[in-house]
Amino acid sequence: MNAAELLWLLARDAFWSGLAALGFAVLFNVPRGLLPGCVLAGAAGHATRTLLMSAGLSIELSTLFAATLVGVAAQWLSRRTDSPTAIFGVAGAIPMVPGVYAYQTMIGLLGVASATPETGIALLAEAGTYAVKTALILSAIAMGIAAPTLLFQRPRPVN
Amino acid sequence: MPSRPLDSASQVDPERLAGYERAPADVKPQLSYEALRDIIDLSLWAGQLLLQHGADTQMVEETIHRLGTALGCNWLDILVSPNALVITAHSGIEFRTKVRRVVSLGVNMAIVTEVSRLRLRVESGELDRVGLRAELKRISESRSHYNRWVVVGMVGLACAAFSRLSGADWPSFSLTFLAAATAMFVRQELNHRQFNLFLVVVVTAFIAGAIACLGIVLQIGAQAQVALASSVLLLVPGVPLINSAEDLIKGHFVTGIVRGVTGGIIALCIALGLVLAMFIFGVSGL
Repeated sequence: MNAAELLWLLARDAFWSGLAALGFAVLFNVPRGLLPGCVLAGAAGHATRTLLMSAGLSIELSTLFAATLVGVAAQWLSRRTDSPTAIFGVAGAIPMVPGVYAYQTMIGLLGVASATPETGIALLAEAGTYAVKTALILSAIAMGIAAPTLLFQRPRPVN
Repeated sequence: MPSRPLDSASQVDPERLAGYERAPADVKPQLSYEALRDIIDLSLWAGQLLLQHGADTQMVEETIHRLGTALGCNWLDILVSPNALVITAHSGIEFRTKVRRVVSLGVNMAIVTEVSRLRLRVESGELDRVGLRAELKRISESRSHYNRWVVVGMVGLACAAFSRLSGADWPSFSLTFLAAATAMFVRQELNHRQFNLFLVVVVTAFIAGAIACLGIVLQIGAQAQVALASSVLLLVPGVPLINSAEDLIKGHFVTGIVRGVTGGIIALCIALGLVLAMFIFGVSGL
């Protein structure tokens, strides 16, 4: 893949993930002034993940780094706009949700229900693989978004 | 630990403070009966609005505490439970505790933003108790920023954008848009009629799945799987799950676990609705 192709891929990726983030921001009734920030967080997060994956990283690790970026961006945006960090964190995370993997897990498990033990093994293995992927991606999103808070906001206990 | 003596600015008889262990660092004048009642009521109201509309536990605690102390309390102890708030407000040697039941009303980031911005206005002295009450009343009565049809269209587009991210072609894209937008409309209607949250999720996922399956039966688009998986993403419990992770990481285990379980049940309900649709249309999904 040459540089132009990669840029085109990232541009498309950023466009669609920004649109996904925008749609969910509207669903969650985010005030109008904060919508550009949501689009930015969504597009930057998913495009970063795609970039890292095209560089050869696994989807789980790429998600962790991309989600950390979203976390930092969310902190920055929330300070600039004086609004809760959660708005941008959620908007940035939504496009990375592993919807298709979760779906494949479900389909695999349902297949097991109507299989014999011999044919069920393959289906179970498939469902298990996708379940692990789904769980890892979800926890990578959660850890990544929380990372900046954990690193930079350490309240002292009151006694 | 020796108790810290209260300074003379306080109107409390020092005799009565003997043995009072938790004298706070900067002591404010003793609040009157009405003032203390108002403050605990207002900070509870603010916390309730946050908890109802999808704020994480840390934010609920911080906002309540800072509102209460800015209005004149010395300290507030807050217990955030998934469906109730307990607050004890301290002023001088007086304290008062109040419990309020809180029912989750779905995510509304506009309300969360506005309540969190009130904090700064109260701390700067711009809003007093009367002003805060008026603002909270205005916020809790405010309507949605977006027309319902805008929401239907945008949510449809968002799910369709998801299908593109997963590699769908244009016919599958359109199918996803139609399925998700219709499902969103149904969801609004059901929510409006106060149906149970989980039932709404099952029915909405069924509608989205049924339209996607219909498209597959009519052979619209090449990526049936992607259309089916993407059209139910409008139901993804993103806010409960992210709040759950946030709460667990910061040590608010009870709320974190409850939010995680809620998200898990919602995910199961999505699967149930989808499976029902696929069973009825005889679509295998692979």
